Amino acid sequence: MTALPTTSVGSLPKPDDLVKARSKAAKGGLAPAELRTLEEKATREWIGFQEQIGIDVLVDGEQYRGDMATYFAENLEGMAVSGLVRSYGNRYYKKPIVVGEIRRKAPISVDWFRFAQGLTEKPVKGMITGPYTMMDWSFDEHYGSREETAMAFARILHEEARDLEAAGATIVQVDEPALSARADELPLVVRAVGAVTKGLKAKTILHTCYGNYDEIFSYLNRLPVDQLDLEMSNSGLDLLERFAQEPLRKEIAFGVVDVHSHVVEPKEVVVERIERALQVFGPQKLTIDPDCGLKTRTVDEAKGKLRVLVDATRAVKAAHGIR
Amino acid sequence: MVRTTVVGNYPRVGDTHEEQRLRRAIARHDLGEVTSEELHNAERDVVRDILREQASAGIDLVTDGQVTWTDSQSHLARGLGGIEIDGLVRYFDTNTYYRQPVVVGPVSWRSPILVEEWRAAQSASKRPVKGVLTGPVTLAELALDKHYGGVRPLAFDLAKALAQEVAALQAAGARHIQIDEPILSRRPEQIDLVRETLGPLAASKGPAELSLFIAFGDVAKIYRRLQELPVDVLGLDLVQGAKTWAQIKRRGSSKPLVLGLVDARNTKAEDPAALAARVGELRGRVDLDAAYLSPSNGLEFLPRAKAREKLSVLAKAATLAEAGP
Repeated sequence: MTALPTTSVGSLPKPDDLVKARSKAAKGGLAPAELRTLEEKATREWIGFQEQIGIDVLVDGEQYRGDMATYFAENLEGMAVSGLVRSYGNRYYKKPIVVGEIRRKAPISVDWFRFAQGLTEKPVKGMITGPYTMMDWSFDEHYGSREETAMAFARILHEEARDLEAAGATIVQVDEPALSARADELPLVVRAVGAVTKGLKAKTILHTCYGNYDEIFSYLNRLPVDQLDLEMSNSGLDLLERFAQEPLRKEIAFGVVDVHSHVVEPKEVVVERIERALQVFGPQKLTIDPDCGLKTRTVDEAKGKLRVLVDATRAVKAAHGIR
Repeated sequence: MVRTTVVGNYPRVGDTHEEQRLRRAIARHDLGEVTSEELHNAERDVVRDILREQASAGIDLVTDGQVTWTDSQSHLARGLGGIEIDGLVRYFDTNTYYRQPVVVGPVSWRSPILVEEWRAAQSASKRPVKGVLTGPVTLAELALDKHYGGVRPLAFDLAKALAQEVAALQAAGARHIQIDEPILSRRPEQIDLVRETLGPLAASKGPAELSLFIAFGDVAKIYRRLQELPVDVLGLDLVQGAKTWAQIKRRGSSKPLVLGLVDARNTKAEDPAALAARVGELRGRVDLDAAYLSPSNGLEFLPRAKAREKLSVLAKAATLAEAGP
């Protein structure tokens, strides 16, 4: 692998025709096979775009997923999906419910991984929504304990990770946006993620975002993965100073563009962020990516942000003679 | 006999087409397709539905479901002087967000914020409607302060401003006013500041009954101190805050309690008989005739149909507790 590689976190925006098709399919107005054709087309386009601009580690863009927790819930036994719950303002989502013993009928994301990896020579990441987040973002009507629920998710997500590996994934990413929900449960996060990654030969990544990093800092080195993927730009890169004092003993994927802003950052700003990261992390340990999934941006905004990230990384590599 | 109440918010949208008219009205208002007055009417319709759902379930002390609140922090803050509203921040350990108030100058009360909403709700309800306000310490702790240089002076000015809101609510006829200080479940060391800032609110309450509700965790370590607060009623989350239960059993309570025993963050419906039995455990330690049974926090984290189910569980449990030994 090249030094100072680039990647993206996971989700990418869906093109308008796919958004419309998903809503039509949800109402029964479009056959699953027709929806699948559009999802494949969008995936092909995103793989093509990532290759074209020169990203090193690709994602499939999750064109076939709605909410990251609900997608896994819909494909598991023992789970149902609730009525609408408000997340903020006038936005609502359907939350998963654990209604019985959680079981995996069949591999969930492996088929899509194979499809995406078949389109490119570059590595595509296998993407799993983590056990702690699945637990925290679901209602539980069965296990009666947060710990038991998280560990039940961990068992089936470990099977999913093994299947991704068997299908050729050399990198498996576990998304845990809920990581910092309850500071007193961080030992549970460590245990549950460990149960997912245990024995994997693939490189493992944990992604999290928008948390209170002060509370979780002492746990970062204990998370049983090879690389941490952290949102850094939205929080003003405060965490860097802390890492300068207390080194991270893992690789880091460092977010250099804010996914919540419509504005594509100027190249100089991104270059400066990468330069600051290089003062703390060596180029062999440092991957450059956006803060978080880009699915809430428009297609053009997401493309703009990925382009500037790649351009800025190239400029920094040239300036430092990094290959 | 044990009465029943709710804690504050309630799902404004349900799964039927009819139950989603406010969602559509807000979306169309954002596009400029409906007027503010039409949106306001849609909100009032939903408030009436929510009052009806609470009444038909048999809830004694109801709320307007905080239907017009975008979130627990910015709704009040937007009405105060000296505060601007900024980006989204995660709300406690929930998967929901609030717009963060940014304090840019001295906080001031300009005019009533909740009174019109309260009046409209009360005029549509035969049962008493409780006025609900986020407390000064929680507002201060969750805000971004660029003016005061500390939570304490900010909380005091917020308390002065909110005291005027309490005065306006009681002058309009509100006889039950609840202050929410969920921050105490995370920062129990702020108990002194909560006590001091409740002073001005208590002084403005007139004939109204003033209650304090603490959601999202336990208050076992400060349970004794809660008894000293200048409020008439203490409301406790006894689901996420299950550790408080042993304190109540051991120490009883000199104040009437709101017992938040129904899990407002999980869809699983409790067994009313089991809940009634738990309430019964407090007989002799707590004045159950003055107590309320309630959800552990606002019901808005649940889908509407599940929230209705929880209301019915509450009412049944209260009836069984009454009939119990």
